[in-house]
Amino acid sequence: MLLVVTYSRQARETLRNACRSHEETVVRRFGRAALLRETEYGAFLACRLRERHGGDVQVERTEPFNEFADAPESVREAASAYENRESPNTPYDRFAAGTAHPTSDAMREREL
Amino acid sequence: MSGRGVDSGGKVSESAESDRTGGPAEQHFCVRLPNGSIEEGPVVDLRNPTRSEPPALALTRAIRSGCPTRRDAPTVHASPPGRTHAHVARLEHDTTIRTRPALVAAAADLGVETSHDDDLAAALRALRALSPAPIDDAELREARRRAADAGAETDRLRERAATVRGQVTALREAAVDDATHPSDPDESLAEAEAALSDVTRQLSAVATERVAAAQRLRLLERQARSARDQRNARIRLEDRVENCRRRVRTARVATVSDAFDAARTELRQRIDHGALADCQPDLLDALAVARIAPIRAPVLVDGDLADALGGPDAAFERLRAPMLIR
Repeated sequence: MLLVVTYSRQARETLRNACRSHEETVVRRFGRAALLRETEYGAFLACRLRERHGGDVQVERTEPFNEFADAPESVREAASAYENRESPNTPYDRFAAGTAHPTSDAMREREL
Repeated sequence: MSGRGVDSGGKVSESAESDRTGGPAEQHFCVRLPNGSIEEGPVVDLRNPTRSEPPALALTRAIRSGCPTRRDAPTVHASPPGRTHAHVARLEHDTTIRTRPALVAAAADLGVETSHDDDLAAALRALRALSPAPIDDAELREARRRAADAGAETDRLRERAATVRGQVTALREAAVDDATHPSDPDESLAEAEAALSDVTRQLSAVATERVAAAQRLRLLERQARSARDQRNARIRLEDRVENCRRRVRTARVATVSDAFDAARTELRQRIDHGALADCQPDLLDALAVARIAPIRAPVLVDGDLADALGGPDAAFERLRAPMLIR
């Protein structure tokens, strides 16, 4: 999908108007961002916004996140174990200490 | 603070009540008509059957813009019109008014303070202090185009290289098979090998360009991202300013609404409905706004309306606003 984020009031207004009049192309609308369907028309709207508002418009192409393909097993297991922890108030790093789970700092440093 | 105080209930305080109309000096004005005559007052009645009056538009323009004016246009020397003036500049039978903005303006002219003023000032200061780094959109666009072109060119050359490599392999195999008849194949093989080395060289150059273009695009995008963080802060501040303004407006209206309702009720009772067949709600609103706001520059009052208010002096008494009657 195409993620369009706006960074000025004018750009936000244009995006709102575009979303109102092209509902079929809008997958989801947030405050000043929207997810557009990945069709030529979605690209057309994104290009128009970029043309009119330049640097105040950010367009990203998103794709579904597949944790089995995109994230290492250690991360998946850590997430699953932490969400199933017994005491809900334990912060992650205390939970991970002394286990094989990676520390939060280590995960922050490693790119996917 | 120079503004007038508001007590905790959100009303104009006693001291404000006593001096909320412009003082006599502030309400004094003089008007010079195109025929050279000069009239002074807080009240000037221009109704005179023996001479032609300047058109209402020329008068309101003269009140708004002061001096100098053209010789054939009237000139008005008066205090500068405040924010409310524009809302009540012409009072006549079919006057229309947007009451809420007029009340906001009236409260502002009265110097009403609200509990949101400091918030608003702080948000405006923060907004002024913020200058988001520019994003060079043309440069980014160029970098995107270069990266895309280099990518497409690499793909094209990669395909071409595969084709040529296939040809070379086939020709080499043929050359081995036909080793006893070395003729054309050799020449074709040499040509194909030359083509392969050519396309390989091009491919390596384009691949280098592709890497460079991708790096450049990544760098520019990183810069744009950090510039957008500041824009993010700016749009949040702009929203905060707008919310503060809305709250200030609401508070201002709330502060003057009792006085406005009282003035409206009183004026409705005082208007001679015999002289003014039907007094539209808009006109009544406008009269009440004029009454509660400190009007310093003259407003233009229709003659019939002045009569319905009891004549020029009574009209001045009721509206507490300097006026030109025509």
